[in-house]
Amino acid sequence: MDKLAKRLRDDAAQIECTVSDELNNRIEASLQGIQVQAAQQPVAETRPAWFWWVSSLTGVAVAATIIVAINLQAPEPQPGRTEPVAAGLTVPSMEWNAQSAVLTRPLRQEIEDLQSDLEKAEEAVKQDIERLF
Amino acid sequence: MSNEAALIAAAKNGSASAFSDLVRSYREGLLRFLLTRSSSYADAEDALQDTLINAYRYLNSYDPRWRFSTWLYRIAINNAAKNYTPPTIEIGELSDAENDPLLHCIAASERSNLWLTARRLFSDEVYAAMWLRYVEDMSVKDISSVLERSVSWTKVNLLRGRKALDADLNRETAANERKAYG
Repeated sequence: MDKLAKRLRDDAAQIECTVSDELNNRIEASLQGIQVQAAQQPVAETRPAWFWWVSSLTGVAVAATIIVAINLQAPEPQPGRTEPVAAGLTVPSMEWNAQSAVLTRPLRQEIEDLQSDLEKAEEAVKQDIERLF
Repeated sequence: MSNEAALIAAAKNGSASAFSDLVRSYREGLLRFLLTRSSSYADAEDALQDTLINAYRYLNSYDPRWRFSTWLYRIAINNAAKNYTPPTIEIGELSDAENDPLLHCIAASERSNLWLTARRLFSDEVYAAMWLRYVEDMSVKDISSVLERSVSWTKVNLLRGRKALDADLNRETAANERKAYG
């Protein structure tokens, strides 16, 4: 056991706390008046298997009837008139003035160093966790 | 069948005395744990009583694949949360720190107790994780089950807790050395 774990255990023992006789009696008295609840039994199947088939088929039939009825009542879609729109109005023209960035050697070196630092830190945390647990 | 398993079986059949024997060894540890999650000593006692009553009432829902203590502590945490009433601060009191029931159970000479530091530094959940690990000797898996957290959350927070307390312990040691050598 390491130093910290031992200290934590010792310090926990320093917390003075006892279950008083009065509390013990109270608990005993409460327990006497209680019944252990029976384990819940799975609910028994009350409906026959064919019930689900019949209800599924009825549902499908009703859905099909509604779809047909709605389609029969719906008016024919009228061809809409579309106004020609000038392309220049909808698509704003943009002038891109971008320059390609070139990574310099020191910057790339920096990224590699950072990645290496990250890997080392990750490894250290993993080792810490494995060592403790 | 172990003694604990035999007592559980008897308690499931309605023997309150078997249940009482079963939880006898857990009572003090549970009360000590509940003290850290209650606003007063009386609340902690009530939470202990409720925990044991609920454990007995719902004993049939206990899954023997888990340790009995894990299940008991889970119920204790739920009861403490249900019973917790935030302490009210009277006019004239500067803070509620002195009302901390944990503080009243630690002798004045032991005020450098690490659990008081932990109480100050950690959230309730991290504190509970540290307690279950270092006082109750629970495995990380059991702790994550009690706190309903993932195993990785538990591992990371135990590690952080350790580091924070280690730093505090080192500070204390350095201060003591300075005092000793003038």
